[in-house]
Amino acid sequence: MSTTMIKTRQTEKEINGVRTQVICTEFSNYIFIVLTQYGKIGTLVSVTPESKSSDVCMPMFTTKVLMGKDEPLTHVCAKNLATCVSQEAGNRPVLIGLALKDSSIEAVKLMRDLIKSCQVW
Amino acid sequence: MSGAEQGDAFDAITVYNFCEKISEQTIHFHVMKMNGGFFLWVGASPTLSNLAVSMISKFDSVPLSMLLMGDKSETAPNALAQRLAKKTNKQVFVSYNLPMVNTNLALQVEDRIKKEMGNHPEHF
Repeated sequence: MSTTMIKTRQTEKEINGVRTQVICTEFSNYIFIVLTQYGKIGTLVSVTPESKSSDVCMPMFTTKVLMGKDEPLTHVCAKNLATCVSQEAGNRPVLIGLALKDSSIEAVKLMRDLIKSCQVW
Repeated sequence: MSGAEQGDAFDAITVYNFCEKISEQTIHFHVMKMNGGFFLWVGASPTLSNLAVSMISKFDSVPLSMLLMGDKSETAPNALAQRLAKKTNKQVFVSYNLPMVNTNLALQVEDRIKKEMGNHPEHF
């Protein structure tokens, strides 16, 4: 017996020569993204919009490292990658697992596109 | 446990779903197998209300466990993660989205997971 209740999509691509995999899973209260170059979840970060209202101005996002390296770059990467997902998903919080060998700005931009290609929201 | 940890060869993450009717309701299981561990979500509706992580330790016979998300007074996600970590010797993430008061249901759910692990070990 299989189930389709949990909607999930995945893809992979070489980014700057590094094999990169994305798995996006939709929950009613969260979007769960795993972005990995190690084949594991790595650092787990929750990215939560400040308010539910879809204001004209950009909502603020709170990032919290639930597991792993709690350093500024982790927050920056998570926010950069998850903000637009959260907005497109009706301001849903995003749980993102990051296991990156390369977190240069060029790589992160390409990863954002990769996540977008796995849209489940 | 950060991404900077030296990884083995890249094994792609694979996703596996199954479901089972237990106590007159359909329980869904969603497994994400990764390098050295797996993520298991259990529920009857598609919410993510808690998340526990557990792994074995050479210093203690009881696997280490921590609740990363959700109500700290609920022990079910941690308990399930610990038992699965002990059984598999892997890092286990568990999200348990069923009524926690029903311990009988929890036992049946755990048996069902173990049965699937026996029949399809390649997915865990």
